[in-house]
Amino acid sequence: MALRAALRLAAAFVVALPIPCLAQGSELFEKRVRPILANRCFACHGPHAGEGQAGLRLDSLDGMLRGGRSGPAIVPGHASRSLLIHAINHDTSLQMPPKAKLSIAEVVALTRWVDEGAYWPDASRSATKLPQAPAAEGGFSEAERSHWAFQPVRDPKAPAGGPTAIDAFILSRLEAKGLEPAPKADKRTLIRRATMDLHGLLPTPTQVRDFVEDESPAAFERVVDRLLASPRYGERWGRHWLDVARYADSNGMDDNIVHGDAWRYRDYVVRAFNQDKPYDRFITEQLAGDVVTDWGAENRSEGLIATGFLMLGPKMVGEDDPVKQKLDFADEQLATTSRAFLALSVDCARCHDHKFDPIRSSDYYSMLGMFTSTKTVLTYRVTSKLNATALAGPDEDRRLSEIERRFDYHSDFVTNYNRATTPQLVVDAQREALEDALEEYFEIPKAMAVAEGDVEDLPVMIRGSHLTPGALAPRRFPAILAGETQPPIGRQSSGRRELAAWLTRAGHPLTARVMANRIWKWHVGEGIVRTTDNFGTLGDRPDHPELLDWLATRFAEDQWSIKSLHRRIMLSSAYQRSFSPNGPASEIDPENRLLWRAHRQRMDAEAIRDTLLEVSGELDPSMGGKTLRHRNFTNLNANALSRDPSLYETRRRSVYLPVLRSALFEVLAAFDFASPSTSNGRRGSTMVAPQALFMMNSRLVEEASRQLAERLANEAGDEDPRRIQLAYEIAYSRPADEKEADSWKAFLDRYESASGDRKAAWRGLCRVLLSSNEFLYLQ
Amino acid sequence: MPAIPHFRDGCSRREALHRMGAGFGSLALSSLLAEESAAKGPLAVRQPHFPPKAKRVIMLFMFGGPSHIDTFDPKPILNRDSGKPLPFAKPRIISFPRRGGNLIGSPFEFKRHGQSGAEVSELFPHVAGIVDELAIVRSMHCTNPRHGGAVLEWHTGSDTFIRPAMGSWLTYGLGSENQNVPGYITICQALAEGGANNFGSAFLPAAHQGTPLGYGNVKAVDAQFPFIGDASRTSLQRLELDMLSDISRRQLDRSGPDSELESRIATFELAFRMQTEAPEIQRIDGESETTKKLYGLDDPVTEDFGRQCLMARRFSESGVRFVQCNSNGWDHHFDLKNLLTQMCAKVDKPIAGLIRDLRSRGLLDETLVIWGGEFGRTPTAENANGRDHNPHGFTMWMAGGGVKPGITFGQTDEYGYYGIENKVHFHDLHATILHLMGLDHTKLTFRHAGRDFRLTDVHGEIIRGLLA
Repeated sequence: MALRAALRLAAAFVVALPIPCLAQGSELFEKRVRPILANRCFACHGPHAGEGQAGLRLDSLDGMLRGGRSGPAIVPGHASRSLLIHAINHDTSLQMPPKAKLSIAEVVALTRWVDEGAYWPDASRSATKLPQAPAAEGGFSEAERSHWAFQPVRDPKAPAGGPTAIDAFILSRLEAKGLEPAPKADKRTLIRRATMDLHGLLPTPTQVRDFVEDESPAAFERVVDRLLASPRYGERWGRHWLDVARYADSNGMDDNIVHGDAWRYRDYVVRAFNQDKPYDRFITEQLAGDVVTDWGAENRSEGLIATGFLMLGPKMVGEDDPVKQKLDFADEQLATTSRAFLALSVDCARCHDHKFDPIRSSDYYSMLGMFTSTKTVLTYRVTSKLNATALAGPDEDRRLSEIERRFDYHSDFVTNYNRATTPQLVVDAQREALEDALEEYFEIPKAMAVAEGDVEDLPVMIRGSHLTPGALAPRRFPAILAGETQPPIGRQSSGRRELAAWLTRAGHPLTARVMANRIWKWHVGEGIVRTTDNFGTLGDRPDHPELLDWLATRFAEDQWSIKSLHRRIMLSSAYQRSFSPNGPASEIDPENRLLWRAHRQRMDAEAIRDTLLEVSGELDPSMGGKTLRHRNFTNLNANALSRDPSLYETRRRSVYLPVLRSALFEVLAAFDFASPSTSNGRRGSTMVAPQALFMMNSRLVEEASRQLAERLANEAGDEDPRRIQLAYEIAYSRPADEKEADSWKAFLDRYESASGDRKAAWRGLCRVLLSSNEFLYLQ
Repeated sequence: MPAIPHFRDGCSRREALHRMGAGFGSLALSSLLAEESAAKGPLAVRQPHFPPKAKRVIMLFMFGGPSHIDTFDPKPILNRDSGKPLPFAKPRIISFPRRGGNLIGSPFEFKRHGQSGAEVSELFPHVAGIVDELAIVRSMHCTNPRHGGAVLEWHTGSDTFIRPAMGSWLTYGLGSENQNVPGYITICQALAEGGANNFGSAFLPAAHQGTPLGYGNVKAVDAQFPFIGDASRTSLQRLELDMLSDISRRQLDRSGPDSELESRIATFELAFRMQTEAPEIQRIDGESETTKKLYGLDDPVTEDFGRQCLMARRFSESGVRFVQCNSNGWDHHFDLKNLLTQMCAKVDKPIAGLIRDLRSRGLLDETLVIWGGEFGRTPTAENANGRDHNPHGFTMWMAGGGVKPGITFGQTDEYGYYGIENKVHFHDLHATILHLMGLDHTKLTFRHAGRDFRLTDVHGEIIRGLLA
């Protein structure tokens, strides 16, 4: 049978026996190659196939070299770089013929033919000449160039009228539509909104009373300043950024390996917000804190820790192909960087030019080179180990590198040795050496930080496969934003330093706009551009383009101070409006695009947990530090460690709870915590039955109800009416009216007669309050 | 019923309701039923693209990669050449190059069974008895040779990024037939190798994520749904829910009609019923002794997986769109003969019992049953007496709704290393499964991060040869 013959032939090749009858190029072509092409390929890529499927014709050398939509089919002399050969081997996503693999003998023949120069009779042109890389530079269409987000940021003058410039922009559009803004929210609503906004907690009854009684016009400004000065602010707003940074304490892709030092990055972010670190510096530290030394040696640790931003991504560590692994890890870094700072999906151009935005595949590989030139792991191999840098200083770091080299070697050995042929003694010795190296490793305080790697420029990879490299794409920034002529990035830098400088230079069209829009969204509930993470052509257009530019300009002008931007936004009338969903403007603008009213916001997952602990008097305010007790390299998938409930047995704020990818803490998962696997500036807010089950049956709500009931008894004494008033002030920031108080008294009696337990009735009351819309939804 | 909506991510509940034309106004609280249909939201039943052949899926997932050449794909040439070197090149990428050895034949005997005469090894005597129901695909292949990548590839179509699971795509496309029980349930699934990403909804609305009933380290008999309440509290809980509804109404009286808040209160009513009904469906006490025996519940070896299969039938029967049973421990790098024998013994009878039970209840025609793992194993030895991972050619089978019964489809080479004829990639099987469920895999899309995503990405071809 033919197959058996083919296998024998293939075997002959494996042991490199010469096959005399096929020595001549023409003979190989005529006897073997042409029949294979004719029988197996021409139906779709032959003389009667028009342009050929996917634009590819295989009936001439010219057709092969010109190639189809995926690029040239062959590189004569280099089978391993030829798409055709990979396709017939079925070892990439492109597999040809699609449903029936060629026989091994056929594969061998075509491979040899390409390797020997792809002889083709009558081919007038030299078969070894490489096709020119397509000269795709320049040539953006007018529509591409004029996309709003790529235009320079202007500094529009605010129209006349309005208590603040922000209001002037908004009111002028409302007036044009003949719409009335909703009235100002009452003071209790306002302090509740501001406290939840800046702290993710509720105001205490005393804070509410003080504000209500403070009749000065600056009363609200004082509240805002008080809230901004508290460390609770950084815990809330740092968490917003951690969504964008897809922060997690474990890898979570395939093996759920512990990021044992990620907490340092988390604390860095909380600190940065509390210190009002200028946003340009915040960007620079996260992308290049290991190489930018502008802030002196005493900031070395801070800069190193900040680059955790690039380290934190989910990684398919079980990837056997080291080159693909390197490209995948860099791809994730590029995707997160471009989404976080540019609100663009540059990573969509990995396999082809971006389908919707003017980002070319060459732009992608130009930027990707910056990240492949960066050291992220010790060695690219299965279960590769993340890079780390010692915090004590360069000497200690050299010692750390030496230890890392040792355990990387030993861990490779004990993972991959042959169980049938390796003597146990050797295995034991390797294991012991590994343990020793790890012990030393864990003694050294360190950051999960990138370092400069072997600097390289990448070729464009056709169809995203490194097996089919195309033209070289020197490291630089996307042409649509940075132009066609850019200063080259030298061999001494990965390009991250240059990337940070480019993002933070004056007049960058995206950096300030993207962040100002994020901040607006986190305050108000919707962005001026609602797709906060996509400013590309499929994203939304800004509802108030001039306001966005005005905010972006002020943001940069205020030395990139985020706290200044908070004050500008919160002191506007637009921020302080009431919710009033049924106002007259609701007919014309039901989505509230023109900002005639406030958006209602449900407490997010962390706020729900933190507030439940807060009202029950149990919240532990201590800040920072390592909170996932497991160390680096532990795989939390083993023995279901990731579902160990003791990981979350703490009463500290939710920002300090371990974030385990693929095994999120159920309390956070139930209420739309952002997936920590991709950068995300806009959480969902779903409403599903499991959330109700959580309110009805979870231990957290059970405990909070019990503690709150005790607190009411302790603080308000034995009288029901006083307890009910206190409960309302704590949970709703307002007193209960008489009717409400009466119906609760009736409830307590009903519950007591059903359960025989007055205390249980109070717990029931607390559970209902804590489950209610008025508690969870900020008006 | 509305056609399948193409929700954009981040679309608020309010916008969604608005778009679906579900304004409730002040009538809402007085007509709880109407509200509840809105509270179903993303899980409301939706029309498929065309009439489906199957309504529900039961996936039997053999985690670790069961050896195809020892179970459903006999290789006499491999047995003949056992001990010799592989006579052709190994793949460019292999997982454990330092442990590889020569060819190793199968220690198990194969026989033809049923009218179809399909060959099954002695490891699956019960499945051999229902072989005429099966479409055995011997030419499966996928891309990734490691568990993590391949398991994710099977469940989500991607070994590179985190994507929604197939079950999530199905409830997104079709909704759920029974609102009192989750639409996508996975029983005792392992948390290793991708963990919850294998049953997560990724960027689809969270309502579509798989609900875990226990995890891999939990026995089926101990598996519980999350946050299901204690039955003894039901009457007190009723008092609480009535009061909750009462104060919500009072708030609405002040603020005016508000469909979002009204629907939220309806979710509590839904949850209240769910916590009564879902455990009720899970409970198998009411099943006859004959049925329990059919699934092997009377034997400690088969009890655990048998219970999973029986629960799966009960869930499926009550309208759960996608149920997955999980058998963990098929990764036989050494001592394959003993370990594979043990694993097959655990699942063989329960699987055959499930197929027979579905058949006798008239459910098999509308239920699609799928069996398989993330890849097969190499014909070459690893560690002398095991086999390495092999994503290049392996076996899965399907039975029931719309599947052509009693066939073997495709083939691997004479040693069982590579698929060579009628190759079926995971993407192709995904496309075929969606097709059987009445969905066009190129049209079931969701817009996220600037583009439309689908289960099959840019791939997938319906395998017509598997359709009845």
